Amino acid sequence: MSASRPALVLRVPSRTEYLAAIRDVTRRMAEAAGFDAAQADQLALAVDEASTNVIEHAYRGAPDRLIELRFDDRGGELCVEVADDGEAVDPREVPQVDLRRYASERRTGGLGMHLMGRIMDSVTFRKNARGNVCCMVKRKPLRREASR
Amino acid sequence: MTELSVDSRELEGIVLLYPRGFINAHTVRLFEGEIQKALDQGQYRIVVSGAGLKYIASAGLGALMGVIEEVRTNGGDIRLADLNETVRNIFDILGFNHLYRIFPSEVEAILSFRGGGEAGSPPA
Repeated sequence: MSASRPALVLRVPSRTEYLAAIRDVTRRMAEAAGFDAAQADQLALAVDEASTNVIEHAYRGAPDRLIELRFDDRGGELCVEVADDGEAVDPREVPQVDLRRYASERRTGGLGMHLMGRIMDSVTFRKNARGNVCCMVKRKPLRREASR
Repeated sequence: MTELSVDSRELEGIVLLYPRGFINAHTVRLFEGEIQKALDQGQYRIVVSGAGLKYIASAGLGALMGVIEEVRTNGGDIRLADLNETVRNIFDILGFNHLYRIFPSEVEAILSFRGGGEAGSPPA
């Protein structure tokens, strides 16, 4: 079983042009933690969505703030925290996604949060000294035993 | 670095869009703009041919959601083709496979507008 590793902390300007870098780092961290390429792509998507939420909602598009990402390989799971010091967004206020209603009402919001929830094993929000923290956890796949 | 380009062409009244790269909050305006161009010209039969699409985030899915009702009200549809596994998985996770017809190839998507090629995933 792999042991925990020191966490990687990354501070990124609150601009959408940095989403590609966030995605690349997440994918690499996921693969280093033992996820396959497809799972790593999905984790990268979830972190992209969380970071986009920070830029668009917590910072309301302000480009001069910081997003702090913390990647923590805990051995059996990978935890990614996305923190900001902007406005707190209450996830309970994000509407549940009903695709057919979305289409008829021409709504487009809330899909990102829905995706995060579908990809990760848990998505929780809290406030601490760093500000608002979105904590996403994905359990690692069980390793196959070596063939006898 | 250009993260997204979107080529387009028209074939027998069908607009074919070829996004190449990544669609997310940073690049989605370009994708939306190309869809809107088609709608502004009264063209409501659209195929998004995704062979060059590496990744799509909710912003891109929202762009499709934002116009699909208008497109279908006008007798058209947005159909998807040739999606790689990563992109296809994202559509499946969100349940978009029940809302959009997805075809293995661009040709099948085009033919579906002529009443043939029923191989795509029909909306439930």
